[in-house]
Amino acid sequence: MAGELQPFHEGLAQTHRLIAPAHPGCNGSTDFTQGNRVDDFLFHYHELFDALKLDRFALAGHCVGGWLAAEFAVRHPERVTKLALIGATGLFVSGEPIGDIFMNSNPDRGTSLASLRHMLFASAVSPEALHRYPDGRGELEDEMRRYAMLRFGSAVGFRPPYLYNRTLVDRLYRAAMPSVVVWGTEDHMVPVAHARAYAKNLSDATLTLIAGAGHAAHLEKPADALVALQPFLKS
Amino acid sequence: MSQPVRLFCWHFMSYPYAPADFDDKYETGWITVPNKLWDREKTQGLLNGYIDQLAYADTLGFDGMVLNEHHQNIYGLMPSPNLIAAALTQKTSVGKIVVLANLLPLHGNPLRVAEEYAMLDNMSNGRVIAGLAPGGGQETFNYNTPAAIQREQFWEAVDLIEQAWTREGPFAFEGKHYPLRYVNPWPQPQQRPHPPIWIPGSQSRETMRQCARRGHCYFLSSRVHGGAIAKVREDFTKILEDAGGRYDPFRMGILMSAYVSETDEQAREESYDGVWYFLKNCLKGHLRNFQGRSMTFGPGVPNVDLADYRRVLENTKPGRAMLGDADDFDALMKAQSILIGSPDTVYRQISELIRETKVGNLLIQFHMGNMRDDLARKSMRLFATQVAPRLRQESQAVFASAFKELAETG
Repeated sequence: MAGELQPFHEGLAQTHRLIAPAHPGCNGSTDFTQGNRVDDFLFHYHELFDALKLDRFALAGHCVGGWLAAEFAVRHPERVTKLALIGATGLFVSGEPIGDIFMNSNPDRGTSLASLRHMLFASAVSPEALHRYPDGRGELEDEMRRYAMLRFGSAVGFRPPYLYNRTLVDRLYRAAMPSVVVWGTEDHMVPVAHARAYAKNLSDATLTLIAGAGHAAHLEKPADALVALQPFLKS
Repeated sequence: MSQPVRLFCWHFMSYPYAPADFDDKYETGWITVPNKLWDREKTQGLLNGYIDQLAYADTLGFDGMVLNEHHQNIYGLMPSPNLIAAALTQKTSVGKIVVLANLLPLHGNPLRVAEEYAMLDNMSNGRVIAGLAPGGGQETFNYNTPAAIQREQFWEAVDLIEQAWTREGPFAFEGKHYPLRYVNPWPQPQQRPHPPIWIPGSQSRETMRQCARRGHCYFLSSRVHGGAIAKVREDFTKILEDAGGRYDPFRMGILMSAYVSETDEQAREESYDGVWYFLKNCLKGHLRNFQGRSMTFGPGVPNVDLADYRRVLENTKPGRAMLGDADDFDALMKAQSILIGSPDTVYRQISELIRETKVGNLLIQFHMGNMRDDLARKSMRLFATQVAPRLRQESQAVFASAFKELAETG
């Protein structure tokens, strides 16, 4: 685990054994050298799970992490006991494009990140949004962390365009394990239509919408996200 | 004596018919600027008029004509500069044709670029200077090129093009991004060993190192003042020496804009519309920070490695003024990138720049924004007849004394 645990993670860790790896290059983790396709990063996780001797486990992921979790689950359903996706990218849904996080990461008028906050949170002026993505330039190390995250996102998600794998939807049936799809009703980056597409095409999924939460539902409404996940993981 | 400074005429071929309230109404001149603004009536003959201005530059004795590649914007209407270059091979006969550049990650396969440049070199009787570039931030959005691997893809493409022009074919190219079983292009370029390769950069050390190692000309595309250019030249000199080479003024090029008229006052008056159209409309989304959203560089286009990005953060202030943020001519003059004045004024400024920077390739934009054809031509003519001769003459001595080796061997 690189970086700090969020309240959502702390909550999960109270009831379960939690392993929360940072993506390659992200959150202080070393830069990615594995390659630049979804498969390259899946092999990275495959090796991580093997190294940790995790044979069968529940898998949860948010945004690109959710995409990678779904890709892993359709390839290795025998290893994934339960699957939880929060605001996951990965699907192509016609007419419901995933928002452009890259364009919005360049500041407007030199310093404003309001449109990035709007994309990632229910409200661009919520304390959580302003705390994580303030206008202007933050501390050097914070800026570098964000940059590394976007480099990872660009490598994994810019092609195939755009943060999706067009063939994933037809393979979701292979993920036979119980699944939960958790989504903020105000997700301005990955439209709720993607939540419905995941829930419809996974073999055994329920959909839980969190009212008033945005793309980072587990950061904005950790209590609601825990309610959606903890009983599901226990059952 | 050294060779004299080389003076090139650069045309951006901007869209000149944006409405008067463009800056108030539209967020950007790039990528998402609505193309309903394209006026099919007014634009009849527009591109041909621009080509004719460049042909005129050739008759005025400029060392060459410069083109660039940009997509989906009002700043430059040349998504395929090779098409304009092809026209110039037929309309000009003396000057170099500098294509700066073909954006390699945007082309399906760089072999096609090697082939097209070879065609142009034959059609122009060996006058092509082949610019190769990875593309800026805008292009990651325009063509969905993944920023994180843009550079890696680019240098592999440069390898392929160099080899296509110098290795005996057919050979197999074992590339990661562009594997090819048969590389064997016909025609081959006319120039030997191949057309000069120029590579634009905005101070990335990696680009300078590659230019040094490969023997290419480094073109500094940042619009910075003379002191900053001199600093880059010092860095590049050091990098060249580390690679076992040596700096000479023609290993580097810089970009500037100029408008020349009879007097300073007249120059400001005549260039007013074109200059401010260029700054406020064409640079919106590119080199403006106080209005719009610049897509050229930043965290949203993560195309440089972590070390280069850290260096940029350490050396810049957020929300700093860029060229397009200038509010009046005086602020513009301070930026030293757009030179406006009488032949004497512009001569003095460029003369000073040559002394300070010791750069031998000056690429100068004359037509700006919505500038009228007759004014652009007048400015080019006054520059060619009253500024260029003095610069050429004195630069020989400047370069010769700065670079004794050149004086001895040149």
